[in-house]
Amino acid sequence: MTGYPWPIESTRLDNGLRVVVSEDRTAPVVCVNLWYDVGSRHEPTGQTGFAHLFEHLMFEGSQHVAKTEHMRLVQGNGGSLNATTNPDRTNYFETMPAEHLELALWLEADRMGGLVPALTQETLDNQREVVKNERRQRYENVPYGDAWLRLLALLYPEGHPYHHATIGSMEDLNAASLDTFKAFHQQYYAPNNAVLTVAGDASPAEVFALAEKYFGVLEPVSSIPPAPHSHLPGPATSPVRETVTAAVPAPRIYLSHRTHPFGTAGYDAITVLAAVLGNGRGSRLYQRLADGARIAQPDYIGSYGVDLAHAPAPLIITATAKDGVPVETLEEGLSEVIGSLVTEPVTEEELSRAKALLTTGWWRQVSTVGGRADALSRYTTQFGDPGAAAYRLPQWLAVTADDVTDAAKYALKPESRVTLTYLPENGEN
Amino acid sequence: MTLIATRPEPGEARPYTFPDLQRVQAGGGLVIGAHLPGQVLASAMLLADAGAARETAGREGTATVLAKSLEEGTKKRDSAAYAIALESLGAELSPGVDWDTFRVGVSAPVPQLLDAVRLAAEAVRTPRLDPADVTRVRDDEVTALRMDWAQPGPRADAALRADLFGADVRFGRPMHGDPTSMAAVTVDDVVTHQSWLHRPSVLLVAGDLSTLDLKALGEAAFGGVEGNPLTAEPPLDVPVRGERKILLVDRPGSVQSTLRIGHRSPERATPDFVAMTLAATVLGGAFTSRLNHLIREVKGYTYGIRGAYAMSRRFGRFEVAAGVQTAVTVPAIVDTLGEIARTQEFGITEDELAVARSWRAGQLSVEMQTPGSIVGALSTLVVHGLPDDYYPALRSQYLETPLAEVSAAAGRHLHPHGLTLVVEGDAAVIRDELVAAKIGDVVDAEI
Repeated sequence: MTGYPWPIESTRLDNGLRVVVSEDRTAPVVCVNLWYDVGSRHEPTGQTGFAHLFEHLMFEGSQHVAKTEHMRLVQGNGGSLNATTNPDRTNYFETMPAEHLELALWLEADRMGGLVPALTQETLDNQREVVKNERRQRYENVPYGDAWLRLLALLYPEGHPYHHATIGSMEDLNAASLDTFKAFHQQYYAPNNAVLTVAGDASPAEVFALAEKYFGVLEPVSSIPPAPHSHLPGPATSPVRETVTAAVPAPRIYLSHRTHPFGTAGYDAITVLAAVLGNGRGSRLYQRLADGARIAQPDYIGSYGVDLAHAPAPLIITATAKDGVPVETLEEGLSEVIGSLVTEPVTEEELSRAKALLTTGWWRQVSTVGGRADALSRYTTQFGDPGAAAYRLPQWLAVTADDVTDAAKYALKPESRVTLTYLPENGEN
Repeated sequence: MTLIATRPEPGEARPYTFPDLQRVQAGGGLVIGAHLPGQVLASAMLLADAGAARETAGREGTATVLAKSLEEGTKKRDSAAYAIALESLGAELSPGVDWDTFRVGVSAPVPQLLDAVRLAAEAVRTPRLDPADVTRVRDDEVTALRMDWAQPGPRADAALRADLFGADVRFGRPMHGDPTSMAAVTVDDVVTHQSWLHRPSVLLVAGDLSTLDLKALGEAAFGGVEGNPLTAEPPLDVPVRGERKILLVDRPGSVQSTLRIGHRSPERATPDFVAMTLAATVLGGAFTSRLNHLIREVKGYTYGIRGAYAMSRRFGRFEVAAGVQTAVTVPAIVDTLGEIARTQEFGITEDELAVARSWRAGQLSVEMQTPGSIVGALSTLVVHGLPDDYYPALRSQYLETPLAEVSAAAGRHLHPHGLTLVVEGDAAVIRDELVAAKIGDVVDAEI
């Protein structure tokens, strides 16, 4: 059993750039994906949001690519593109009609090696405003929009690299100077701090030659600073609680625990646990609180892990109260269902349902060349081996009912729980 | 270190192909299959002519309640047993409603697809529809709409729709209803809507057809189909007002103003479809579009702004959507109107069109890799009566429609002076400035 039935070949250029190729001639499309091993966990105090704002600057031109040209060249040749930043890393990707592979590599090399000469104060000022609007749109202007920002601060202690959110604070964004960003690029956007993956309609030989041609000229950076210390012993040892009264339409609870880092056997058990507990209408949470006791709104109940690799990753469990249900009743119900993972062992039926859903989810993720390239970049960056992508699905399928019980006993104790509750302003409920 | 300065030329393009299609009559319905060799997952979708457009006035939301009720148990098993049977196949049901259709999608690993379709059909053909369950689902949907309407956007959408089409007709009301109409939906409404699912319909399948049996899938999907297709109704007229109007939707404390700016436009079957799509791509479709370039990349007023024509069987609508920082609401609107007017009056350039052409054409490959996306593409063929070779032909049209035709379509189908501008934001902060800008009469929307 493998979760990655396509071929994988990889090499490392002399400057340290790791290049991974997964050929698949099914469709005439190719994805170019780069992971840079830098995320918001690398940000020092006073510079929150910088890794993400920097990601925006990467689309604003480089040495041989004029401002606005990057987007125009990718979309104007039929491609889809984007980039994301999270606590662990920053990724950039474009899926193109295959005849434009070389263009995509040229664009990526130019901004890896030649961003600084093109960086201007005007561009920084503009993208700072765009990012502030992104913060307004995604976190401030929507009900419950700041839950993730609050949970991180409750889950990880002050000073821990995951304590602050990737979007950053308005104050830090306002204080961002051009020189800081130039230094940021020179520090982290190095070939020896990146993985380049190409998946789809291209051969390894062709990609390796093109990678050498466009990226081979870049100098490695010898002094990439180590990431800030992120070790944590595991789950918290005392509970934390925060209640927010805000413009929300109904009471909602987020319960969260630090569990295991992504990529470990412990986290695989947590992934299966999350599916048993809160994925789908057959899950325990849905069956017992939405369908059974009918105290939770059916559309807003579930549980999921956030796949962070550099410290114990969060499991988040959430439910929203039905009209007239006191929030205390909902919290009691959630606690009971979570507790049941220890007191009522998971049945074979529950386990196979969860694994079936995870299996479909896995294949959906790798059904596009973009999904595949991102997985290979991830496993190369985080575990040093693109082939490790093939193990995740079999490792989920090997999780036993006892593993789930053990994971619950270890990670979901009430004394390690973060409880974040939203209450409507007007005192409804 | 010397980066390579010269932009590389493209390699040789492989010819575009859309997956091979097979059509099979089985079980009283039509099965259309698209062959995707080697795919681990397969997708299927039952498509019925029972969309939101067929709902009774004042009961908007009926089809949505039906969609949610399908999973509340069948004549054979209760809701818990149904959920476990389906999810144990790795499948989940995604029932959905749009203006033209009622659709039930399901995807699963290839060997499980037949059983998944059998279960989907069980829910569609023989739902339990216990009155107590339907009533509870209806009440949950009222709450879900209230949750949704607490976000910025849905109230502005509703205000725009009501103004463009008239609040007293179905098309002037939100596709999924509003909290009031949803609350008025009765069990009988839902049962009647379900009866339309028994009429002849279509099953779309995308996956590796070398191991999928389309005939068996059709028989599983269509057992018990009867009656005739419902009568198709003609497209609506396209009236456009002679003056602009601003509708203000109050959202106290909002840190952004949500803009929904639009007017009516022709239905999907218009011969101008390709030219309109290309023109709208230049104006507001791609990242480098005129609107996004000016409002985001030059001015920094927004995280993103887009403009497009949405076209269904009976009507269409041009709409620009954005969230802009509250303090720059008026300048953002003025700039937006400027770009719409400039595009309408002077058309677009050859360079801009080149980007739009290649992007639209390339997206037909790039965004159609998965069984789910191919099933979506097949549904467009069925709903709009398009031929099997539609996508290759569309690709050619994107690449070849002359500039003059695209600019002419912009001239004909943009109406900068007949726009309705809905602004959902902190009225206390933005009202005076909006009135003073003299863009159009400012009216408080009743939402």
